[in-house]
Amino acid sequence: MTLTKSVDQVTILKGDRSKLKDLLRSRLIECGWRDEVRLLCHNTIKEKGFNLTVEQIVQDVTPKARARVPDSLKKELLMKIKSSLAAQEGIEL
Amino acid sequence: MGEIATACQHFAAYVKEFGFDSFSVVHAFFSACVTKEARRRKALSCLCYTCGGSGPQLYSCLHCIYFGCKGQHILDHLKTSKHVIALELCYGMIYCNSCKDFIYDQQCQAIAEKHLRKEARNLNKSVSWRPWIPSQVEMNLLRQHPKRRHVTPCSSIGLRGLLNLGSTCFMNCIVQALIHTPLLRDYFLSERHECSIKSSINCLVCEVSRLFQEFYSGARGPLSLHRLLHLIWNHARHLAGYEQQDAHEFFMATLDVLHRHCENSQNNESDKNSIAQKTETSNTQCNCIIDQIFTGGLQSDVVCQKCQGVSTTIDPFWDISLDLGEAQPGGGPPKSLIDCLERFTRAEHLGSNVKIKCSNCESYQESTKQLSMRTLPIVASFHLKRFERISLINKKISTFISFPSELDMTPFMSQKKDNHGDYRYSLYAVVNHVGTLDKGHYTAYVRHQKDIWVKCDDDIITTATIKQVLDSEGYLLFYHKKVLEYE
Ligand SMILES: [Zn+2]
Ligand SMILES: [Zn+2]
Ligand SMILES: [Zn+2]
Ligand SMILES: [Zn+2]
Ligand SMILES: [Zn+2]
Ligand SMILES: [Zn+2]
Repeated sequence: MTLTKSVDQVTILKGDRSKLKDLLRSRLIECGWRDEVRLLCHNTIKEKGFNLTVEQIVQDVTPKARARVPDSLKKELLMKIKSSLAAQEGIEL
Repeated sequence: MGEIATACQHFAAYVKEFGFDSFSVVHAFFSACVTKEARRRKALSCLCYTCGGSGPQLYSCLHCIYFGCKGQHILDHLKTSKHVIALELCYGMIYCNSCKDFIYDQQCQAIAEKHLRKEARNLNKSVSWRPWIPSQVEMNLLRQHPKRRHVTPCSSIGLRGLLNLGSTCFMNCIVQALIHTPLLRDYFLSERHECSIKSSINCLVCEVSRLFQEFYSGARGPLSLHRLLHLIWNHARHLAGYEQQDAHEFFMATLDVLHRHCENSQNNESDKNSIAQKTETSNTQCNCIIDQIFTGGLQSDVVCQKCQGVSTTIDPFWDISLDLGEAQPGGGPPKSLIDCLERFTRAEHLGSNVKIKCSNCESYQESTKQLSMRTLPIVASFHLKRFERISLINKKISTFISFPSELDMTPFMSQKKDNHGDYRYSLYAVVNHVGTLDKGHYTAYVRHQKDIWVKCDDDIITTATIKQVLDSEGYLLFYHKKVLEYE
Protein backbone atom coordinates (compact mmCIF):
# COMPACT_ATOMS: atom_id res chain seq x y z
CA MET A 1 0.00 0.00 0.00
CA THR A 2 1.33 3.44 -0.80
CA LEU A 3 2.03 5.98 1.92
CA THR A 4 -0.54 8.48 0.65
CA LYS A 5 -3.17 5.82 0.59
CA SER A 6 -2.58 4.76 4.19
CA VAL A 7 -2.43 8.37 5.37
CA ASP A 8 -5.74 8.92 3.61
CA GLN A 9 -7.24 5.83 5.19
CA VAL A 10 -6.13 6.55 8.74
CA THR A 11 -7.25 10.18 8.71
CA ILE A 12 -10.60 9.29 7.14
CA LEU A 13 -11.21 6.44 9.53
CA LYS A 14 -10.60 8.50 12.65
CA GLY A 15 -12.64 11.41 11.40
CA ASP A 16 -9.55 13.63 11.60
CA ARG A 17 -9.75 14.18 7.87
CA SER A 18 -12.81 16.30 8.24
CA LYS A 19 -11.34 18.28 11.15
CA LEU A 20 -8.11 18.87 9.24
CA LYS A 21 -10.15 20.13 6.31
CA ASP A 22 -11.98 22.55 8.61
CA LEU A 23 -8.69 23.76 10.05
CA LEU A 24 -7.18 24.25 6.61
CA ARG A 25 -10.22 26.14 5.46
CA SER A 26 -10.26 28.54 8.41
CA ARG A 27 -6.51 29.13 8.15
CA LEU A 28 -6.78 29.96 4.46
CA ILE A 29 -9.55 32.41 5.22
CA GLU A 30 -7.67 34.00 8.13
CA CYS A 31 -4.50 34.64 6.19
CA GLY A 32 -6.35 36.23 3.29
CA TRP A 33 -5.61 33.40 0.87
CA ARG A 34 -9.25 32.94 -0.05
CA ASP A 35 -9.64 36.61 -0.92
CA GLU A 36 -6.50 36.52 -3.05
CA VAL A 37 -7.70 33.45 -4.92
CA ARG A 38 -11.08 35.03 -5.46
CA LEU A 39 -9.28 37.94 -7.09
CA LEU A 40 -7.24 35.56 -9.26
CA CYS A 41 -10.48 33.96 -10.47
CA HIS A 42 -11.91 37.37 -11.23
CA ASN A 43 -8.87 38.21 -13.29
CA THR A 44 -9.00 34.95 -15.22
CA ILE A 45 -12.65 35.52 -16.09
CA LYS A 46 -11.97 39.10 -17.10
CA GLU A 47 -9.09 38.00 -19.30
CA LYS A 48 -10.62 34.97 -20.96
CA GLY A 49 -14.27 35.89 -21.18
CA PHE A 50 -17.39 34.66 -19.47
CA ASN A 51 -17.81 31.34 -21.28
CA LEU A 52 -15.24 29.56 -19.14
CA THR A 53 -16.12 26.35 -17.31
CA VAL A 54 -15.10 25.87 -13.69
CA GLU A 55 -12.54 23.34 -14.93
CA GLN A 56 -10.81 25.95 -17.06
CA ILE A 57 -10.71 28.46 -14.22
CA VAL A 58 -9.38 25.81 -11.85
CA GLN A 59 -6.64 24.91 -14.33
CA ASP A 60 -5.59 28.49 -14.72
CA VAL A 61 -5.71 29.48 -11.06
CA THR A 62 -4.50 26.33 -9.29
CA PRO A 63 -0.73 26.79 -9.81
CA LYS A 64 -0.86 30.39 -8.62
CA ALA A 65 -3.16 29.55 -5.72
CA ARG A 66 -0.94 26.65 -4.62
CA ALA A 67 2.12 28.87 -4.63
CA ARG A 68 0.36 31.29 -2.31
CA VAL A 69 -0.35 28.80 0.49
CA PRO A 70 1.87 29.96 3.38
CA ASP A 71 4.72 27.61 4.34
CA SER A 72 3.81 27.96 8.01
CA LEU A 73 0.38 26.51 7.23
CA LYS A 74 1.86 23.55 5.34
CA LYS A 75 4.13 22.94 8.33
CA GLU A 76 1.27 23.16 10.79
CA LEU A 77 -0.84 20.73 8.81
CA LEU A 78 2.03 18.32 8.46
CA MET A 79 2.51 18.34 12.23
CA LYS A 80 -1.20 17.74 12.76
CA ILE A 81 -1.21 14.84 10.30
CA LYS A 82 1.88 13.38 11.96
CA SER A 83 0.32 13.50 15.40
CA SER A 84 -2.89 12.03 14.01
CA LEU A 85 -0.91 9.10 12.61
CA ALA A 86 1.13 8.74 15.79
CA ALA A 87 -2.09 8.32 17.75
CA GLN A 88 -3.47 5.70 15.38
CA GLU A 89 -2.63 2.65 17.47
CA GLY A 90 -5.59 0.42 17.99
CA ILE A 91 -7.07 1.08 14.60
CA GLU A 92 -7.37 -1.91 12.38
CA LEU A 93 -7.59 -1.47 8.67
CA MET B 1 -28.41 34.81 -5.30
CA GLY B 2 -31.90 34.01 -6.56
CA GLU B 3 -30.77 31.84 -9.47
CA ILE B 4 -28.98 29.31 -7.35
CA ALA B 5 -31.75 26.73 -7.84
CA THR B 6 -31.30 26.26 -11.58
CA ALA B 7 -29.66 22.96 -12.38
CA CYS B 8 -29.36 21.90 -16.00
CA GLN B 9 -31.88 19.97 -18.11
CA HIS B 10 -29.63 16.86 -17.95
CA PHE B 11 -29.83 16.79 -14.20
CA ALA B 12 -33.59 17.37 -14.34
CA ALA B 13 -33.88 14.33 -16.64
CA TYR B 14 -31.63 12.32 -14.34
CA VAL B 15 -33.77 13.14 -11.29
CA LYS B 16 -36.93 12.29 -13.15
CA GLU B 17 -35.58 8.83 -13.87
CA PHE B 18 -33.62 8.02 -10.69
CA GLY B 19 -34.75 10.43 -7.98
CA PHE B 20 -32.44 11.68 -5.22
CA ASP B 21 -31.66 8.33 -3.59
CA SER B 22 -28.28 7.65 -5.18
CA PHE B 23 -27.16 11.19 -4.50
CA SER B 24 -28.25 10.96 -0.87
CA VAL B 25 -26.59 7.60 -0.18
CA VAL B 26 -23.33 8.36 -1.98
CA HIS B 27 -23.12 11.77 -0.32
CA ALA B 28 -23.84 10.42 3.17
CA PHE B 29 -21.26 7.62 2.90
CA PHE B 30 -18.48 8.97 0.75
CA SER B 31 -18.62 12.75 0.94
CA ALA B 32 -19.91 13.71 4.39
CA CYS B 33 -19.26 10.36 6.15
CA VAL B 34 -22.11 10.69 8.63
CA THR B 35 -21.23 7.64 10.77
CA LYS B 36 -18.27 5.56 11.83
CA GLU B 37 -19.39 2.83 9.46
CA ALA B 38 -19.45 5.36 6.62
CA ARG B 39 -15.90 6.43 7.43
CA ARG B 40 -14.80 2.79 7.44
CA ARG B 41 -16.36 2.19 4.06
CA LYS B 42 -14.90 5.33 2.61
CA ALA B 43 -11.42 4.53 3.91
CA LEU B 44 -11.48 0.97 2.58
CA SER B 45 -13.46 1.05 -0.62
CA CYS B 46 -13.47 4.58 -1.95
CA LEU B 47 -10.64 4.04 -4.44
CA CYS B 48 -10.39 4.81 -8.13
CA TYR B 49 -11.69 1.84 -10.15
CA THR B 50 -9.19 2.61 -12.86
CA CYS B 51 -5.92 3.15 -10.99
CA GLY B 52 -6.68 2.19 -7.37
CA GLY B 53 -5.62 5.60 -6.05
CA SER B 54 -7.32 7.28 -3.09
CA GLY B 55 -7.36 10.81 -4.31
CA PRO B 56 -6.70 13.64 -3.84
CA GLN B 57 -10.01 14.28 -5.57
CA LEU B 58 -12.35 11.44 -6.42
CA TYR B 59 -15.69 11.47 -8.23
CA SER B 60 -18.46 8.95 -7.93
CA CYS B 61 -20.74 8.12 -10.83
CA LEU B 62 -24.38 8.60 -9.84
CA HIS B 63 -25.68 6.12 -12.44
CA CYS B 64 -23.65 3.07 -11.44
CA ILE B 65 -21.11 2.04 -8.84
CA TYR B 66 -17.88 3.62 -10.01
CA PHE B 67 -15.27 5.81 -8.33
CA GLY B 68 -12.65 7.58 -10.42
CA CYS B 69 -9.95 10.20 -10.09
CA LYS B 70 -10.71 13.72 -11.16
CA GLY B 71 -9.81 14.12 -14.83
CA GLN B 72 -9.28 11.26 -17.26
CA HIS B 73 -10.43 8.34 -15.10
CA ILE B 74 -13.91 9.58 -14.28
CA LEU B 75 -14.33 11.31 -17.66
CA ASP B 76 -13.47 8.09 -19.55
CA HIS B 77 -16.03 6.19 -17.51
CA LEU B 78 -18.78 8.75 -18.11
CA LYS B 79 -18.02 8.80 -21.81
CA THR B 80 -17.81 5.05 -22.45
CA SER B 81 -20.81 4.12 -20.32
CA LYS B 82 -22.83 7.15 -21.45
CA HIS B 83 -23.41 8.22 -17.87
CA VAL B 84 -23.89 11.95 -17.29
CA ILE B 85 -24.12 12.91 -13.63
CA ALA B 86 -21.29 12.42 -11.12
CA LEU B 87 -20.61 13.56 -7.58
CA GLU B 88 -17.33 15.23 -6.62
CA LEU B 89 -16.60 13.74 -3.18
CA CYS B 90 -14.25 16.28 -1.61
CA TYR B 91 -16.77 19.12 -1.53
CA GLY B 92 -19.92 17.21 -2.47
CA MET B 93 -20.47 19.06 -5.76
CA ILE B 94 -22.59 17.66 -8.59
CA TYR B 95 -20.94 17.48 -11.99
CA CYS B 96 -22.78 17.25 -15.31
CA ASN B 97 -20.70 15.76 -18.10
CA SER B 98 -22.98 17.09 -20.81
CA CYS B 99 -22.59 20.66 -19.54
CA LYS B 100 -18.96 19.91 -18.63
CA ASP B 101 -19.55 21.93 -15.51
CA PHE B 102 -20.66 21.82 -11.89
CA ILE B 103 -24.34 22.40 -11.28
CA TYR B 104 -26.35 23.51 -8.29
CA ASP B 105 -29.57 21.93 -7.14
CA GLN B 106 -31.42 23.30 -4.16
CA GLN B 107 -32.81 19.97 -3.02
CA CYS B 108 -29.39 18.32 -3.15
CA GLN B 109 -27.91 21.19 -1.22
CA ALA B 110 -30.51 20.78 1.51
CA ILE B 111 -29.70 17.06 1.73
CA ALA B 112 -25.97 17.83 1.84
CA GLU B 113 -26.50 20.38 4.64
CA LYS B 114 -28.33 17.76 6.66
CA HIS B 115 -25.51 15.26 6.19
CA LEU B 116 -22.83 17.78 7.16
CA ARG B 117 -24.68 18.58 10.36
CA LYS B 118 -24.95 14.88 11.10
CA GLU B 119 -21.25 14.39 10.42
CA ALA B 120 -20.38 17.27 12.75
CA ARG B 121 -22.51 15.78 15.50
CA ASN B 122 -20.97 12.36 14.97
CA LEU B 123 -17.44 13.75 15.20
CA ASN B 124 -18.35 16.05 18.06
CA LYS B 125 -17.18 19.14 16.18
CA SER B 126 -18.84 22.26 14.89
CA VAL B 127 -20.18 22.37 11.34
CA SER B 128 -17.49 23.62 8.99
CA TRP B 129 -17.69 27.26 8.17
CA ARG B 130 -19.83 28.23 5.25
CA PRO B 131 -20.87 31.70 4.21
CA TRP B 132 -24.31 32.71 5.37
CA ILE B 133 -26.65 33.15 2.46
CA PRO B 134 -29.84 34.75 3.74
CA SER B 135 -32.98 33.15 2.41
CA GLN B 136 -35.74 35.26 0.89
CA VAL B 137 -37.60 35.20 4.20
CA GLU B 138 -34.53 36.30 6.14
CA MET B 139 -33.80 38.99 3.59
CA ASN B 140 -37.30 40.43 3.99
CA LEU B 141 -37.05 40.33 7.76
CA LEU B 142 -33.76 42.19 7.63
CA ARG B 143 -35.19 44.84 5.34
CA GLN B 144 -38.11 45.40 7.67
CA HIS B 145 -35.87 45.91 10.68
CA PRO B 146 -36.24 49.64 11.47
CA LYS B 147 -32.84 49.92 13.13
CA ARG B 148 -30.95 48.02 10.45
CA ARG B 149 -27.37 49.24 10.27
CA HIS B 150 -24.82 48.95 7.55
CA VAL B 151 -21.20 48.94 8.68
CA THR B 152 -18.90 50.77 6.29
CA PRO B 153 -15.25 51.80 6.70
CA CYS B 154 -16.30 55.31 7.68
CA SER B 155 -19.13 54.39 10.02
CA SER B 156 -18.77 55.28 13.67
CA ILE B 157 -20.63 52.28 15.07
CA GLY B 158 -18.74 51.00 18.08
CA LEU B 159 -17.46 54.43 19.07
CA ARG B 160 -18.86 56.28 22.08
CA GLY B 161 -17.29 58.93 24.25
CA LEU B 162 -17.30 58.37 28.02
CA LEU B 163 -18.18 61.09 30.51
CA ASN B 164 -15.61 61.97 33.12
CA LEU B 165 -17.26 61.48 36.52
CA GLY B 166 -14.49 63.35 38.32
CA SER B 167 -11.02 61.93 37.56
CA THR B 168 -12.39 58.73 36.09
CA CYS B 169 -10.38 58.97 32.88
CA PHE B 170 -8.36 55.94 34.09
CA MET B 171 -11.54 53.87 33.90
CA ASN B 172 -12.69 55.35 30.59
CA CYS B 173 -9.41 54.37 28.96
CA ILE B 174 -9.54 50.78 30.17
CA VAL B 175 -13.16 50.43 29.09
CA GLN B 176 -12.30 51.77 25.61
CA ALA B 177 -9.48 49.22 25.34
CA LEU B 178 -11.73 46.36 26.50
CA ILE B 179 -14.60 47.35 24.20
CA HIS B 180 -12.20 47.30 21.25
CA THR B 181 -10.79 43.85 22.07
CA PRO B 182 -12.10 41.81 19.13
CA LEU B 183 -12.63 38.49 20.89
CA LEU B 184 -14.27 40.11 23.91
CA ARG B 185 -16.58 42.03 21.62
CA ASP B 186 -17.53 38.82 19.80
CA TYR B 187 -18.24 37.11 23.10
CA PHE B 188 -20.48 39.86 24.45
CA LEU B 189 -22.28 40.73 21.22
CA SER B 190 -23.21 37.08 20.76
CA GLU B 191 -24.68 37.18 24.29
CA ARG B 192 -22.83 34.18 25.59
CA HIS B 193 -22.94 35.17 29.26
CA GLU B 194 -25.64 33.25 31.10
CA CYS B 195 -26.15 35.00 34.36
CA SER B 196 -26.51 32.93 37.47
CA ILE B 197 -26.66 35.80 39.92
CA LYS B 198 -30.21 36.37 41.13
CA SER B 199 -30.35 40.10 40.58
CA SER B 200 -28.40 40.70 37.43
CA ILE B 201 -28.16 44.37 38.45
CA ASN B 202 -25.29 43.29 40.70
CA CYS B 203 -23.52 41.31 38.01
CA LEU B 204 -20.50 43.03 36.53
CA VAL B 205 -20.49 40.75 33.52
CA CYS B 206 -24.10 41.71 32.75
CA GLU B 207 -23.12 45.36 33.09
CA VAL B 208 -20.26 44.94 30.61
CA SER B 209 -22.66 43.09 28.33
CA ARG B 210 -25.03 46.06 28.50
CA LEU B 211 -22.13 48.43 27.74
CA PHE B 212 -21.28 46.55 24.57
CA GLN B 213 -24.90 46.90 23.46
CA GLU B 214 -24.72 50.64 24.16
CA PHE B 215 -21.48 51.03 22.23
CA TYR B 216 -22.89 49.23 19.21
CA SER B 217 -26.39 50.70 19.37
CA GLY B 218 -25.56 53.29 16.73
CA ALA B 219 -26.21 56.18 19.13
CA ARG B 220 -23.45 58.76 19.26
CA GLY B 221 -23.82 60.61 22.56
CA PRO B 222 -21.35 59.98 25.38
CA LEU B 223 -22.06 57.30 27.97
CA SER B 224 -21.75 57.46 31.72
CA LEU B 225 -20.05 54.55 33.47
CA HIS B 226 -21.36 55.26 36.98
CA ARG B 227 -22.97 51.82 37.32
CA LEU B 228 -19.81 50.04 36.27
CA LEU B 229 -17.77 52.18 38.64
CA HIS B 230 -20.00 51.36 41.60
CA LEU B 231 -19.97 47.65 40.80
CA ILE B 232 -16.20 47.60 40.68
CA TRP B 233 -15.99 49.59 43.92
CA ASN B 234 -18.21 46.99 45.55
CA HIS B 235 -15.98 44.15 44.45
CA ALA B 236 -12.57 45.82 44.69
CA ARG B 237 -12.78 48.05 47.74
CA HIS B 238 -9.23 49.37 47.47
CA LEU B 239 -10.24 51.28 44.35
CA ALA B 240 -13.21 53.07 45.90
CA GLY B 241 -13.20 56.84 45.97
CA TYR B 242 -13.30 59.58 43.40
CA GLU B 243 -9.60 60.38 43.27
CA GLN B 244 -7.40 59.54 40.31
CA GLN B 245 -6.43 55.88 40.19
CA ASP B 246 -3.75 54.02 38.35
CA ALA B 247 -5.14 52.72 35.05
CA HIS B 248 -3.02 49.58 35.25
CA GLU B 249 -4.27 48.73 38.71
CA PHE B 250 -7.81 49.33 37.55
CA PHE B 251 -7.30 47.09 34.52
CA MET B 252 -6.03 44.22 36.68
CA ALA B 253 -8.86 44.68 39.17
CA THR B 254 -11.46 44.70 36.39
CA LEU B 255 -10.13 41.46 34.90
CA ASP B 256 -10.09 39.92 38.35
CA VAL B 257 -13.68 40.90 39.18
CA LEU B 258 -14.92 39.76 35.77
CA HIS B 259 -13.07 36.45 36.12
CA ARG B 260 -14.51 35.90 39.61
CA HIS B 261 -18.04 36.55 38.34
CA CYS B 262 -17.59 34.09 35.50
CA GLU B 263 -16.09 31.54 37.84
CA ASN B 264 -19.10 31.83 40.15
CA SER B 265 -21.56 31.15 37.38
CA GLN B 266 -19.49 28.17 36.22
CA ASN B 267 -19.40 26.73 39.73
CA ASN B 268 -23.14 27.18 40.11
CA GLU B 269 -23.59 25.20 36.95
CA SER B 270 -21.51 22.30 38.20
CA ASP B 271 -23.42 22.40 41.49
CA LYS B 272 -26.35 21.10 39.55
CA ASN B 273 -24.26 18.24 38.25
CA SER B 274 -22.17 16.70 40.95
CA ILE B 275 -19.82 17.67 43.72
CA ALA B 276 -17.16 15.30 42.49
CA GLN B 277 -17.00 17.18 39.25
CA LYS B 278 -16.65 20.45 41.08
CA THR B 279 -13.50 19.44 42.94
CA GLU B 280 -12.11 18.25 39.66
CA THR B 281 -12.61 21.57 37.90
CA SER B 282 -11.17 23.61 40.74
CA ASN B 283 -7.77 22.04 40.15
CA THR B 284 -7.64 22.82 36.47
CA GLN B 285 -7.20 26.25 35.00
CA CYS B 286 -10.20 28.53 34.78
CA ASN B 287 -11.76 28.58 31.36
CA CYS B 288 -13.79 31.79 31.61
CA ILE B 289 -13.75 34.27 28.74
CA ILE B 290 -11.27 36.50 30.59
CA ASP B 291 -8.81 33.65 31.06
CA GLN B 292 -9.34 32.42 27.52
CA ILE B 293 -8.33 35.81 26.18
CA PHE B 294 -5.84 37.23 28.68
CA THR B 295 -4.08 34.34 30.44
CA GLY B 296 -0.62 33.28 29.38
CA GLY B 297 2.00 31.14 31.12
CA LEU B 298 5.31 32.53 32.30
CA GLN B 299 8.14 30.03 32.68
CA SER B 300 10.84 30.62 35.23
CA ASP B 301 14.03 28.56 35.09
CA VAL B 302 16.29 28.75 38.13
CA VAL B 303 19.71 27.28 37.39
CA CYS B 304 21.97 26.19 40.22
CA GLN B 305 25.48 27.56 39.62
CA LYS B 306 27.11 24.55 41.20
CA CYS B 307 25.46 21.62 39.46
CA GLN B 308 23.64 23.42 36.64
CA GLY B 309 20.44 21.71 37.76
CA VAL B 310 17.35 23.50 36.48
CA SER B 311 14.12 23.88 38.36
CA THR B 312 11.25 25.11 36.26
CA THR B 313 7.98 26.67 37.38
CA ILE B 314 5.17 28.03 35.26
CA ASP B 315 2.87 30.75 36.51
CA PRO B 316 -0.17 32.25 34.84
CA PHE B 317 -0.13 35.94 33.96
CA TRP B 318 -2.61 38.49 32.66
CA ASP B 319 -0.09 41.13 31.69
CA ILE B 320 3.62 41.78 31.68
CA SER B 321 5.11 44.67 33.62
CA LEU B 322 8.33 45.97 32.13
CA ASP B 323 11.08 47.95 33.90
CA LEU B 324 12.25 51.16 32.27
CA GLY B 325 15.14 52.06 34.58
CA GLU B 326 18.86 51.61 33.89
CA ALA B 327 19.67 47.98 33.33
CA GLN B 328 22.33 46.59 35.66
CA PRO B 329 25.18 46.52 35.36
CA GLY B 330 26.11 49.46 33.20
CA GLY B 331 23.66 48.86 30.34
CA GLY B 332 21.68 51.97 29.48
CA PRO B 333 17.93 52.28 29.81
CA PRO B 334 15.76 50.41 27.28
CA LYS B 335 14.70 52.38 24.24
CA SER B 336 12.05 50.11 22.78
CA LEU B 337 9.49 47.50 23.74
CA ILE B 338 11.78 44.87 22.25
CA ASP B 339 14.64 46.09 24.51
CA CYS B 340 12.30 45.78 27.48
CA LEU B 341 11.27 42.26 26.51
CA GLU B 342 14.86 41.18 25.90
CA ARG B 343 15.75 42.44 29.33
CA PHE B 344 12.70 40.77 30.84
CA THR B 345 13.72 37.38 29.42
CA ARG B 346 17.48 37.67 30.02
CA ALA B 347 19.11 35.25 32.48
CA GLU B 348 19.80 37.17 35.64
CA HIS B 349 22.21 36.32 38.40
CA LEU B 350 20.30 36.43 41.65
CA GLY B 351 23.36 37.73 43.58
CA SER B 352 25.64 36.21 46.16
CA ASN B 353 23.36 37.01 49.12
CA VAL B 354 20.44 35.13 47.68
CA LYS B 355 21.02 31.43 48.02
CA ILE B 356 18.32 29.10 46.86
CA LYS B 357 17.99 25.47 47.78
CA CYS B 358 18.74 23.40 44.72
CA SER B 359 16.52 20.36 44.45
CA ASN B 360 19.16 18.55 42.44
CA CYS B 361 22.26 18.82 44.64
CA GLU B 362 20.24 19.42 47.80
CA SER B 363 22.24 22.43 48.97
CA TYR B 364 21.85 26.20 49.09
CA GLN B 365 23.60 27.71 46.10
CA GLU B 366 23.85 30.86 44.05
CA SER B 367 21.65 30.66 41.02
CA THR B 368 20.53 32.44 37.89
CA LYS B 369 16.93 32.95 36.95
CA GLN B 370 15.49 33.30 33.48
CA LEU B 371 11.93 34.10 32.47
CA SER B 372 10.35 33.12 29.16
CA MET B 373 6.91 32.77 27.63
CA ARG B 374 5.63 29.23 27.94
CA THR B 375 2.24 30.04 26.45
CA LEU B 376 0.97 33.32 25.11
CA PRO B 377 -2.47 34.79 25.62
CA ILE B 378 -4.64 35.96 22.74
CA VAL B 379 -4.27 39.50 24.03
CA ALA B 380 -0.78 40.38 25.20
CA SER B 381 -0.85 43.51 27.32
CA PHE B 382 2.31 45.25 28.39
CA HIS B 383 2.61 47.64 31.28
CA LEU B 384 5.52 50.06 30.96
CA LYS B 385 6.45 50.85 34.53
CA ARG B 386 6.52 54.62 34.23
CA PHE B 387 5.70 55.19 37.90
CA GLU B 388 8.45 54.58 40.38
CA ARG B 389 8.47 54.95 44.09
CA ILE B 390 11.97 55.59 45.46
CA SER B 391 12.23 56.30 49.18
CA LEU B 392 8.64 57.51 49.48
CA ILE B 393 8.91 59.82 46.50
CA ASN B 394 6.79 59.01 43.47
CA LYS B 395 8.50 59.62 40.18
CA LYS B 396 7.35 59.34 36.61
CA ILE B 397 9.70 58.09 33.90
CA SER B 398 8.79 59.84 30.66
CA THR B 399 11.54 58.49 28.41
CA PHE B 400 10.46 57.59 24.91
CA ILE B 401 9.97 53.87 24.39
CA SER B 402 9.23 52.93 20.81
CA PHE B 403 6.77 50.11 20.19
CA PRO B 404 5.84 48.44 16.90
CA SER B 405 2.41 48.08 15.35
CA GLU B 406 3.25 44.46 14.48
CA LEU B 407 5.06 42.40 17.08
CA ASP B 408 6.53 38.91 16.80
CA MET B 409 6.91 37.22 20.20
CA THR B 410 8.76 34.15 18.86
CA PRO B 411 12.18 35.19 20.31
CA PHE B 412 10.73 35.28 23.83
CA MET B 413 9.20 31.82 23.85
CA SER B 414 10.49 29.09 26.17
CA GLN B 415 10.84 26.46 23.47
CA LYS B 416 12.56 27.73 20.40
CA LYS B 417 13.38 24.47 18.63
CA ASP B 418 10.62 22.63 16.81
CA ASN B 419 8.23 25.40 17.62
CA HIS B 420 5.97 26.01 14.66
CA GLY B 421 3.52 28.27 16.41
CA ASP B 422 2.60 31.64 15.02
CA TYR B 423 3.29 34.30 17.64
CA ARG B 424 2.63 37.46 15.67
CA TYR B 425 0.58 40.21 17.26
CA SER B 426 -0.95 43.52 16.14
CA LEU B 427 -1.29 46.59 18.25
CA TYR B 428 -4.92 47.57 18.86
CA ALA B 429 -4.96 49.89 21.89
CA VAL B 430 -2.58 52.19 23.74
CA VAL B 431 -3.34 53.90 27.04
CA ASN B 432 -1.34 57.05 27.74
CA HIS B 433 -0.75 59.03 30.88
CA VAL B 434 -0.14 62.72 30.20
CA GLY B 435 1.06 65.33 32.61
CA THR B 436 2.53 64.94 36.06
CA LEU B 437 1.77 62.38 38.72
CA ASP B 438 -0.80 64.32 40.73
CA LYS B 439 -2.20 66.40 37.88
CA GLY B 440 -2.22 63.65 35.32
CA HIS B 441 -4.79 62.63 32.75
CA TYR B 442 -5.35 59.41 30.84
CA THR B 443 -6.22 59.11 27.15
CA ALA B 444 -6.40 56.09 24.90
CA TYR B 445 -5.82 55.31 21.24
CA VAL B 446 -7.89 52.41 19.95
CA ARG B 447 -8.03 50.70 16.58
CA HIS B 448 -11.59 51.20 15.37
CA GLN B 449 -11.24 49.24 12.16
CA LYS B 450 -8.25 47.95 10.25
CA ASP B 451 -5.92 50.93 9.73
CA ILE B 452 -8.40 53.34 11.32
CA TRP B 453 -7.37 54.68 14.71
CA VAL B 454 -9.21 57.02 17.05
CA LYS B 455 -8.17 58.93 20.11
CA CYS B 456 -10.49 58.65 23.11
CA ASP B 457 -10.20 61.57 25.51
CA ASP B 458 -13.16 61.02 27.86
CA ASP B 459 -16.23 62.21 25.92
CA ILE B 460 -14.22 63.46 22.93
CA ILE B 461 -13.40 61.04 20.13
CA THR B 462 -11.18 62.17 17.28
CA THR B 463 -9.54 60.31 14.43
CA ALA B 464 -5.84 59.64 14.72
CA THR B 465 -3.03 58.40 12.51
CA ILE B 466 -0.93 55.33 13.24
CA LYS B 467 2.05 57.69 13.45
CA GLN B 468 0.42 59.61 16.30
CA VAL B 469 -0.24 56.32 18.04
CA LEU B 470 3.33 55.06 17.65
CA ASP B 471 4.79 58.44 18.65
CA SER B 472 2.79 58.59 21.87
CA GLU B 473 4.44 57.88 25.19
CA GLY B 474 2.70 54.58 25.89
CA TYR B 475 1.74 53.36 29.35
CA LEU B 476 -0.32 50.25 28.62
CA LEU B 477 0.07 48.53 25.25
CA PHE B 478 -2.49 46.03 24.01
CA TYR B 479 -1.64 43.55 21.26
CA HIS B 480 -3.99 41.02 19.69
CA LYS B 481 -2.81 37.70 18.30
CA LYS B 482 -3.03 37.58 14.51
CA VAL B 483 -3.69 33.88 14.06
CA LEU B 484 -5.96 32.10 16.48
CA GLU B 485 -5.41 28.46 17.26
CA TYR B 486 -8.50 26.30 17.48
CA GLU B 487 -8.67 23.68 20.14
ZN1 LIG C 1 -21.42 5.11 -14.19
ZN1 LIG D 1 -7.59 6.97 -10.90
ZN1 LIG E 1 -26.07 19.35 -17.75
ZN1 LIG F 1 -24.55 38.35 34.77
ZN1 LIG G 1 -11.46 32.88 34.89
ZN1 LIG H 1 22.51 22.29 42.40
